[in-house]
Amino acid sequence: MLKYVARRLSIMVGIVFVISIGSFYLLHLLPGDPASVILGLGNTPAARAALYHQLGLDKPVYDQYFIWIGHILSGHLGDSFISHTSIASTIRAALPIDLELIGLSQVLAFGVAIPMAMRSARKPDGALDRLLGAGSFTLLSIPPFIIIVLLVLLFSIKWGIPNTGPASYVSFTTDWIANLESLALPAFTLAIGSFVVYYRVLRSDLISTLQEEFITMARSKGLSQRRIMWIHAFRPSSVALCGTAGVNIGGLLAGGFVVQYLLQIPGLGYTLIAAINTSDYLLVQDIVLVVSVGVVLINFFFDFTVNLIDPRISRE
Amino acid sequence: MSDAERLLVVEDLATTFETATGPLAAVGGVSLTLDKNETLGIVGESGSGKTVLARTIMGLQPRTNVTVTGSVLLNGHQMVGVSEAEKRKYWGTEVAMVFQDPMTSLNPVMRVGRQIDEALRVRLGMSKEDARARAVELLELVGIPSPQRRYRAYPGQLSGGMRQRVVIATALACSPQLLMADEPTTGLDVTIQAQILNLIDELKERLHMSVVLITHDLGVVATRTSRIIVMYAGRVVETGSTRDIFHGHRMPYTRALLESSPKVTSPSHTRLSAIPGRPPNLSRLPAGCSFAPRCAYATARCHEERPELRAAGPGHDFACWNPLAATGARPA
Amino acid sequence: MSEIAGAELLFEDPVKRDRLGPLFWICLGWLGLNVFGAIFANVLPLHDPLYGDFNTINAHPSLHHLFGTDDLGRDIFSRVVYGSRISIAVGTGAMVIGFGVGAPLGMLAAYRRGRFDSILTAFMYILLAFPAIVAVIAVLSFWTPRSMFKIIIVIGLASIPLVYRVIRTATMAVATKDYIVAAKVQGATDRRILMKELLPNIAPIGISFLLIGIATVVTLEGALAFLGLSVNPPTPSWGNMINEARTVLAQNPWLVFFPSLALCLFLLCLNFIGDRLRSHFDVTEAKL
Repeated sequence: MLKYVARRLSIMVGIVFVISIGSFYLLHLLPGDPASVILGLGNTPAARAALYHQLGLDKPVYDQYFIWIGHILSGHLGDSFISHTSIASTIRAALPIDLELIGLSQVLAFGVAIPMAMRSARKPDGALDRLLGAGSFTLLSIPPFIIIVLLVLLFSIKWGIPNTGPASYVSFTTDWIANLESLALPAFTLAIGSFVVYYRVLRSDLISTLQEEFITMARSKGLSQRRIMWIHAFRPSSVALCGTAGVNIGGLLAGGFVVQYLLQIPGLGYTLIAAINTSDYLLVQDIVLVVSVGVVLINFFFDFTVNLIDPRISRE
Repeated sequence: MSDAERLLVVEDLATTFETATGPLAAVGGVSLTLDKNETLGIVGESGSGKTVLARTIMGLQPRTNVTVTGSVLLNGHQMVGVSEAEKRKYWGTEVAMVFQDPMTSLNPVMRVGRQIDEALRVRLGMSKEDARARAVELLELVGIPSPQRRYRAYPGQLSGGMRQRVVIATALACSPQLLMADEPTTGLDVTIQAQILNLIDELKERLHMSVVLITHDLGVVATRTSRIIVMYAGRVVETGSTRDIFHGHRMPYTRALLESSPKVTSPSHTRLSAIPGRPPNLSRLPAGCSFAPRCAYATARCHEERPELRAAGPGHDFACWNPLAATGARPA
Repeated sequence: MSEIAGAELLFEDPVKRDRLGPLFWICLGWLGLNVFGAIFANVLPLHDPLYGDFNTINAHPSLHHLFGTDDLGRDIFSRVVYGSRISIAVGTGAMVIGFGVGAPLGMLAAYRRGRFDSILTAFMYILLAFPAIVAVIAVLSFWTPRSMFKIIIVIGLASIPLVYRVIRTATMAVATKDYIVAAKVQGATDRRILMKELLPNIAPIGISFLLIGIATVVTLEGALAFLGLSVNPPTPSWGNMINEARTVLAQNPWLVFFPSLALCLFLLCLNFIGDRLRSHFDVTEAKL
């Protein structure tokens, strides 16, 4: 087991390292000139040269990379060129919001998907199963940005429920009720996409697990249906679910920005978009790195969980 | 002895599956009885319906798309047409089943010890420590060495023979009176088969159980059963004491079965005599006797009318229009 | 319960495939209609999508304007039809790039294995670990002026690693089967094996994934439009129409409704067809 963890960790470090190179070079390859943005009208060749020197942009690219990595590893994320605030504090403020949003949406998604999948698996092709199947399929085809627009239309504009419209985010520490209200709609929107995927995967796996012989044997021991479902059937069936959760949640971290942007919720996604719009390269770079590390960590965590569930995998 | 005192009374049991191609009668009109401390053998080829019969007797048939008619009285309790919750009361505590393939009948991601004491804790309300102690006892009872260590093993870490012993231990956990053993040795190495069968015999004596031994292999039932039922295409074609079946059988199918098992005593290079043809498609059974198309003794009547069971002697029934001659059967 | 159906059953009855069903053809027809509209928009009797008649802004649907008009007086119906061009072009274009590069590489890598496979796959997996969406956004933000062509290229390139992985996994599942080994032993050339044995077996999964991929890209285009990263106005695309409609949500609900409906129906049909094809060709699913 320990060997497995060590091996995975080293692969992770390798991946993050390569990603850091990738994100660094990506931004340097892009057209666009940080200097003109910063200097604005005072963009004379002399001023530009001075700025480059000041920012260390006149050094060779690989030098710049190592300087950047060195700073990161020693905890200096630097200051944004544009806003002149500490990048570390920006990220530190934005990240928990993402985590809360993702956390809420996943609680919702799993909380509904798991019981529903179990019920459908017990009676495949029954009324509930068909309804959920068609319903989830339809939901799959409605993009999240449409869902959120409709939800905002309904809750905020039509029904006037407080704190649900755009720019109404309130932090948890200030007013936790308003906080939950402001995150309710986006969490729900993100939950829908997750729910559809989790429901289908779990249902399919449960149905095939329930046909296995050891389930009949468990039945023959006189165990209740509930016990059979939760203790015997769920565990082997949740392997694919875990893998899917990892990919899905990673995707939410990297891609939940549309919803954030629309409602002006200051999470990482929103901050990233704003940074791109203001050509704040360093901030973009750092956020990309943080997000990538996050995605890799999440995937690692879920892969690890899969191992706990099904010990046969690590033995292979 | 009245019906209510027998351990198991099955009357006219029939199991029909709803398939995409129409209803399929896996078991049609089977009746049998079983007393305490008896061992009954149910013999037949694959597709004869013996597994479905076993499961239906226990009530373990699938919940959907299945129709069961007839009556099964287990210790006086009716098992047909009652709710799953009703049947569940007796599963494990009065009747238990040992399945064919121990690799698939044990939960692969759960330690074997836990699978045994699960029944003890849930059904008998034992505490965790008591259940664990009893589980280790059971592992010892079924002949597993180092039971303390094996308690924590996963099924995949055990050999085939040991896994089957675990399955047996699990089945016996709540001391059932009836053990249904569905091809308990078919998935195992030949060398292990005898061990497992002997184990079942021992346990039967020690725990005063009755056993129903289901198999396609006549060698298995030869010395271990007191009575045998021969099945074909979902129906009983001959039933009687083991001696009657082996030495006084009347139904040609029984003879064909007996002759198709290779014997150690045959001279070398003896041709295996197989039964010609294939078992019938159960959703399209021919009119008349189901075995007629493959039977060497079939008459015209055999193809037209299905024979009912009739007595050849006390406790010996068979279903055939053109039976083999009654041999000079030794007195019982 | 395998002993119930006797051996006979499997030999006599032909394998029953899951029928495609009438809904399948309806969806296919709808998609065809969309494609037709996109291709022939120029010659169809539609209003000019860019011309705004300021006398009839925010009009309700009528015979003259089937879907009504937007806040600049432009006919919504013709804008929806013209908008389909962007979505369909981006969806198919990006997938052509993704599959055109990713699929052959994936198949080849899975079949050949060895060093080629190890290096390429490691490379692709690293690319996959990178949050592709972020890269797409970053590139599209900075690579101005924007054009549909650039969008197609960026999304297409970003999709290559995923296509590679899916096709490679699918090919590996087939390539290890004994009949491939048998073909090799019989002396079949690699090309023959690839074309005649592997390809037909991967095609169902491939096509299914292709359709889902198109749906994903079309959705992505919509999301990008919300970030202002899709085609520039006044060119209509379903995505930017919905985005623009947000500001006049109360006054003109039709402006958000019709492009949303068009987009959702398109996605629904794509997903449905992809799913149906997959279950139709998946003969191994237990249907007994």
